[in-house]
Parts: sequence; structure tokens; C-alpha cells
Amino acid sequence: MVMDNDFKEFQNEWNNNKNNIELSPNGINTLYDKIKKKEKANYFFYYGTIIILLATLIVISLFFYYVAPVKEILSRIGAGLMICGLIVRIGIEIISIGKAKRMNTIHNTLTATENTIRFHQFRKVIHSIVAPIIVGLYTIGFYMITPEFSLYISRWNLLLIDISYIVIAIILFFVIRKGIKKEMVILSEIMDLRNEITE
Amino acid sequence: MKSNQNILFEEIYQQHHAMVMQMCLGFVRGDHDIAKDLQQEVFISVWKNLKTFRGASSYKTWIYRITVNTCLQHVKKKKKEPTFSISEIENQVPFPEQKTPEKRAISTLYTAIGQLNELDRLLIMMVLDNQDYDTIAEVIGIQPTNVRVKIHRVKKRLKKILENNGNG
Repeated sequence: MVMDNDFKEFQNEWNNNKNNIELSPNGINTLYDKIKKKEKANYFFYYGTIIILLATLIVISLFFYYVAPVKEILSRIGAGLMICGLIVRIGIEIISIGKAKRMNTIHNTLTATENTIRFHQFRKVIHSIVAPIIVGLYTIGFYMITPEFSLYISRWNLLLIDISYIVIAIILFFVIRKGIKKEMVILSEIMDLRNEITE
Repeated sequence: MKSNQNILFEEIYQQHHAMVMQMCLGFVRGDHDIAKDLQQEVFISVWKNLKTFRGASSYKTWIYRITVNTCLQHVKKKKKEPTFSISEIENQVPFPEQKTPEKRAISTLYTAIGQLNELDRLLIMMVLDNQDYDTIAEVIGIQPTNVRVKIHRVKKRLKKILENNGNG
């Protein structure tokens, strides 16, 4: 009973303060400006990566078609692997956008939390399994092309390209590892929240 | 000329801005700037989803859901920030310069709420806002009986915190 009386007092304080919150005269216009900015930012967030990947795909395809049309079967398979890797990557990005859009704030907290868990579980699988496979395919494809390229490029230039690729692969390894760690931390926090909700 | 969506949105904003701001303030321990950003995030989400609102619940319940989820998303984004000590929280609450008894009371309440975990903060704020268990259950997505148990626990925790802070 004492707790209920105390609580009534808190409720009064709470509601008095709420009633004192005034509408700022320019609030709605500021909000409309923010909405416009957010819509633009979201567009780039959702489609920026796809646009970049598509541009890369087009450039690589045009390169193999017009600039360096490889003739040997081994090289053609290599080029195919590189292009396929990129296509798979674009497909994953599209699925990822769909899952990200499902993490909408309009659902109840439990559903929103479960959708967020699903999204981060998906991202964890992408980072830990799919991304290394794509990088692997791309790398195998790249080295399958180099024997034919060596006929047209000096040995030193080829060596330079090969070494630079190894450097990129090492950087990619650390980027992927960081991505996995980040997803694991986020996942464990959201799972804790879900447990709190359902316990 | 304003579209129907603009008119409806502005009506919703006028009716619910104080409720959303108060929730955000309580959630971020009274930090006015962060609360303002969060409030804007909530209404951006309202605008984005207004066309898909089918009226399965009231606008108020719908906005509560968006507010709760936006606040929880904010935690995910800001998790790396250092945690606050009580004195830091007290310095952070609004109206530091001219504390009338009313402002001191709400500051004390924000400070105490800020010491609860995130979900408990949101639950207790909905109770403070006079929401019934069914509405809270609809917002959170659990059974009203479960809400009742949780709120009973949170009230006890809040009381203990206030007593420890010397305001019980």
C-alpha cells in the first residue's frame, strides 16, 4: 500500500513534467528536414553497396570481353569464378536488405528483437562461411588467369600483381574476422534482451 | 498544399510529442540532446510507416512500440559508451542551474530510472504514463500476467534505488 502511494506520487511528477514539455515552434519543419536527409541516407545505405558491386561486375565483365578476352579454358573458368563470386555477393546483399527492412520498429518488442536476432545470425553466417568462400573463389579464379596473363605481362609486373593480391587477401581476412566478432557481440546482447523479455 | 499524410502526421506529432519526449528523456537519464535525437528518430519512423498503419491498435500503442524499439536500438548503437556513475547521471539530468522542487523531483526520478536496466526502464515509464497491463503487453509482445510480475519487480527495484539515493 505504501509502495502504491509512493508510486502515485511518482506518476504525478511524471505527468506534470510531461505536461510542461512544449512543442517547439519550428519542430515540425526541422523534423521534415531530418526525414528528407534520412530517406537519402537510407537509400545509400541500402543500395550503395549494390551499386558499387554492380559497377565492379560490369567493369570486370567488360574487361574480360573487350580488353583481355582470355582464350584458354583454365583462364575462362578463372574469369567465370571471379564473375560468379561477384554475382553471389550481389545476391546476398539483396537478401540482406530484405532482412534489414524486416527489422522494423513498428512490431512489438519481442518480434522486433527476434527479427534483429535473425538478421545478425544471417550476417554471422555470411561473414564466417559465405564471405570466405566468395573470396576463395575469387582468389582461385584470379590465379587461374595468371598463367595466360604471364604470356602478355612481364614477369616482374605479374609478380607485383600476385604479391599485391596476397596483401589484399590478408587485409580481407582481418576485415572478415572483425566482422564476425562484431556480429557475435551484437548477437549475444540481443539474445540477452530477448531472454529478459521472455523470462 | 499539405497532403493527407502530412496533415495526419502533424496531428500525431502534436498529440504524442510530449509522451515520446518524456519516455526518451527517462530512457537516457534526462540527457535532453540525446532525448531530442531519439524523439526525432521515433517520428521519422512514424512518418516512414504511416502508410502501412492498418489500425490494428491505437496510434498511441503503435507509437509506444516505435518508441520502445527505437530506444532499445539506441542502446545497441551506443553500447560501447562508458557506463555512468550516479554522480555523473545526476549532473546530466536537465535543469541543473535552476532546480525548483518540481524539477528536482523529476531529476531524482530520471536518475533512479537510469539505474534500472533498459527493458525495466521502458516498462516502468509506461506505468508512470498510466498505461494498463494489456497495452504494455501489446507493446512488448508478452502476456499481461507476465507484465504484471515484471512490473511488480521493477517497482520494488525502483523503490530500493530511491531509498539508497536518499529519496525513498
